[in-house]
Amino acid sequence: MGITRGLVITVLFGIVLFLLIPAYVPRPRFIPGFAPPPDMWPRTVSMFGMALGILLVGLSFSRKTESIADPEDASAIRGDTPLVALLTRFGWTVLAFALFIGSVMLLGFLLSSILLLMAMLILTGYWRHKVVAAIVAVALPLVLYLFFSSALNTRFPVGSLLKAIGI
Amino acid sequence: MLNDLLVAFQAVATLENFLIMAAGIWGGVIIGAIPGMTGTMAVTLALPFTFYMQPIPSILLLVALYKGSTYGGSVSAILIKTPGTASAACTTLDGYPLAQQGKAGKALNMALYSSCTGDFISNLSLIFIAAPLALLALRIGPPEYFMLMIFALTTVAGVSGRSLLLGLVSACLGLLLATVGEDMYGSFRFDLTMDMQSGLAVAPVLIGLFAIPELLKIIVFRNNQSHKPMQLGDNHVTRDELRRSLKAMLKGSMIGVVMGAIPGIGPSAAAFSSYGEAQRSSKNRENFGKGELEGIAASESANNGCCGSTMIPLLALGVPGDVITGVMLGAFMIHGMTPGPMLFENNLNEVYMLFIGMLFSSVLLFGAGKATMRFFSHISRIPPGLMAPIVLALCVFGIFSISNSMYDVIVLLAMGIFGFFMFLFAIPAAPFLIAFILGPMLEENLRRALALSRGDPSILVSSPITWLFASLAIFVVVVTIRQQLKKAKA
Amino acid sequence: MKLTFSLAAATLLAASTAYAQSYPSEPVTLVVPYGPGGASDLAGRALAESAREYLGQPVTVVNQAGAGGMTGARDVTQADPDGYTLLLARVGMALSPAVNENSSVDWDEYTFISPLEATPMILAVADDSPYESVEDLLEGIKNDPGAMSYAASGATAIDGFTVQSLLADVEMDPLTAATLIPYRGGGELATALLGGHVDFLAIAAASLMPHIESGDMRPLMVFSPERMETLPEVPTAEELGYELAGQVIGWSALYGPPDLPEDVMNTWAEVMEQVAEDEMWLSRADDRGSISTIGSVDMETYAQEQYEFYRALAEQFGYLE
Repeated sequence: MGITRGLVITVLFGIVLFLLIPAYVPRPRFIPGFAPPPDMWPRTVSMFGMALGILLVGLSFSRKTESIADPEDASAIRGDTPLVALLTRFGWTVLAFALFIGSVMLLGFLLSSILLLMAMLILTGYWRHKVVAAIVAVALPLVLYLFFSSALNTRFPVGSLLKAIGI
Repeated sequence: MLNDLLVAFQAVATLENFLIMAAGIWGGVIIGAIPGMTGTMAVTLALPFTFYMQPIPSILLLVALYKGSTYGGSVSAILIKTPGTASAACTTLDGYPLAQQGKAGKALNMALYSSCTGDFISNLSLIFIAAPLALLALRIGPPEYFMLMIFALTTVAGVSGRSLLLGLVSACLGLLLATVGEDMYGSFRFDLTMDMQSGLAVAPVLIGLFAIPELLKIIVFRNNQSHKPMQLGDNHVTRDELRRSLKAMLKGSMIGVVMGAIPGIGPSAAAFSSYGEAQRSSKNRENFGKGELEGIAASESANNGCCGSTMIPLLALGVPGDVITGVMLGAFMIHGMTPGPMLFENNLNEVYMLFIGMLFSSVLLFGAGKATMRFFSHISRIPPGLMAPIVLALCVFGIFSISNSMYDVIVLLAMGIFGFFMFLFAIPAAPFLIAFILGPMLEENLRRALALSRGDPSILVSSPITWLFASLAIFVVVVTIRQQLKKAKA
Repeated sequence: MKLTFSLAAATLLAASTAYAQSYPSEPVTLVVPYGPGGASDLAGRALAESAREYLGQPVTVVNQAGAGGMTGARDVTQADPDGYTLLLARVGMALSPAVNENSSVDWDEYTFISPLEATPMILAVADDSPYESVEDLLEGIKNDPGAMSYAASGATAIDGFTVQSLLADVEMDPLTAATLIPYRGGGELATALLGGHVDFLAIAAASLMPHIESGDMRPLMVFSPERMETLPEVPTAEELGYELAGQVIGWSALYGPPDLPEDVMNTWAEVMEQVAEDEMWLSRADDRGSISTIGSVDMETYAQEQYEFYRALAEQFGYLE
């Protein structure tokens, strides 16, 4: 665990330092030479981050220093559920998030969020209580929709599909 | 002055004003307590109404909403581990563990006492020492801001949990993500998409980082052993506990007053610094993060300690320190009053009325807090499998409405997934948030200072104020390293 | 069961988006692409207040800040051109595409409805500064190039161009003669001067007036077509013969998404005519220190002039290749 984590952190900051900063942090020519340019700070921070990642990897190799790098056994939190089940549940949730974002333009904000809420209730296992869950899934977004659009004039996307069929 | 205050008292003590303030405080507490709805939202919501109101009641309404929402943030921080406002992030660290131990009522009460104390002290300082504090605020230039931010950032050590190294990793991630968007000179950084030019806003990042990982934990691990409803149980703060937390509370209020008076710093930084300071000086250091009442006292007294003093730069200098005071500035100007040095000459009576009204609002905050607490405490009876999706829906709607854009919702969900990975790697979330909020101030003031000095770094230690903050920061770092070494040996 | 609910939701949606028989049949949304409480927000809210009476429908203000106002602007240009989503445009909508090669919205990707107001800017120094006039200040800058600093919200922001155009007018290098210290927002800028952290600045009048009135700041010059009523003794840049600086000014206007239908344009033309005379609109403009310009210029021509002016400056100063 300690080594994987250290490597992930090192790689993450490395990507920022060597790929993202050169491509996405331009140095405007008009900044006076003595003033620190926009890339100074992200560079410093990601170099420091990389150093921390390498340090974490290094500490994990020695039994003696391992406790500094890895304060708790993370597997304790995970329990004994098989890894595949965990990954599947996680995958479904991320998929639900992605579908929600994708469907807002099509189905509109209200309908999409009702579907999102239903998906989440199914995933958390609360869908067993079907009546309560269904009422919450429909009523809560509806109430929030009405509140925000009337009180704060929020303009929620209506959805192109609903518009197309003439609603 | 006392005579003037008495006259103002008579003018302000009308039933109408009380009702307006009570409604504002109450509304603020509720909006603040709902994750995804922020104090800024509450104030913006009320702004159109203030057009039709008398000047003083309209400002009092805005102030009341601000104070209420600052306290309200702690309610959801304690009950559902999601800070309603950014400044309540530190309250989560000790508040939620207390709620899990069946002491939610105790935590909520402590938060309320501390908030009211901080609020009252802050109001007093606004009334009696506004002028010197305003002068102090003007003295704070880029190098002083930079050193102050370095000092505030040392709190990272206190909230890192068991591993300082992982806390630092978390802080680096926060500093890095804070640089997305428009740079101070006008170019863009990390604009992988057009939307990213507007950067990452605090609200979606904060809520994404705290609320959504909770949902993911429930879904992925199905840890329904905590399914039994939490009991409010142990409700009262005992006299002994109050005495023990008094020091943290008073110190927190002072930190809140000073940091609130400096434009741009705000209640989050104050709460972090106060929490860090309380932890360093407390006898129960080891218990912080596991449900320590002193921790709640420190962070809640500091964030409400900003509420009054944040009006100092606004009233005395005409400079709004944040979005909320910016809205207040607008409300003043709509009514033909211009905050600033001339306000005290042209509208002294109105200023005193405002002061008196604010003093009352501390008392009203206490009442509204007590009343709301009973109502909100039922929340902890809702099983997590239902609660977490509800929180998600609230956040999605609330975050969308901040800037009417799906981009913020995407940031919210993406940060949630990111936060879940941080949890898996045992990287604490609180240092990330501190760094994310303080990062822009730290970076920009460093670059400003270096531009002013034409690249000479000695400007960073050029004034007594910078020496003060620098030595405080060094002191904290030395103490932290010694503690860490001791821990490693043991 | 699910179906019933979604049908119910759909009916509700249908009820809220009424068909546009004659414009306007529902509230109009005015997008202010900056945060609440600022000068642009106040201008937007004042317009919303005054226009509702003549429009016959409420105008609701929505703040959509981000990327120097361009996030909100982009959203409006992508909205349906039905006249129910309009934009409170600022000088930034012409300035940003002029100085930024890959700006998200070009200056002409809108329907130009009407100009609203001109917002003067003031060149000011702190009260204890040795400089009594613009010539003094420029002399001081010349004596030690780069040593004097000024605050602005960015190199290519309007309050940076005020100073840079003035420097260019007297043949100094606009980018290096004085050092730009970037701050965010009017409040921070004013504090920087009050606290003595920078030597001078030239920013929107509204942020400086309280300090000028209290005597903490000294105005040297205004960037405005005519002298300000509240500062009758302070000369304008044009009077002093500064050619480029004389053309720099802040403004607000009302824009819509491209291709607004004619009936919408006609309705708004009538409404703006009435707003121009509206007392509340005029007095609120006074309170903000700005001058109503409704009906004084053709907005499209003006926006184009502004765009070309800043484009030329950006090329001259070296912001563009």
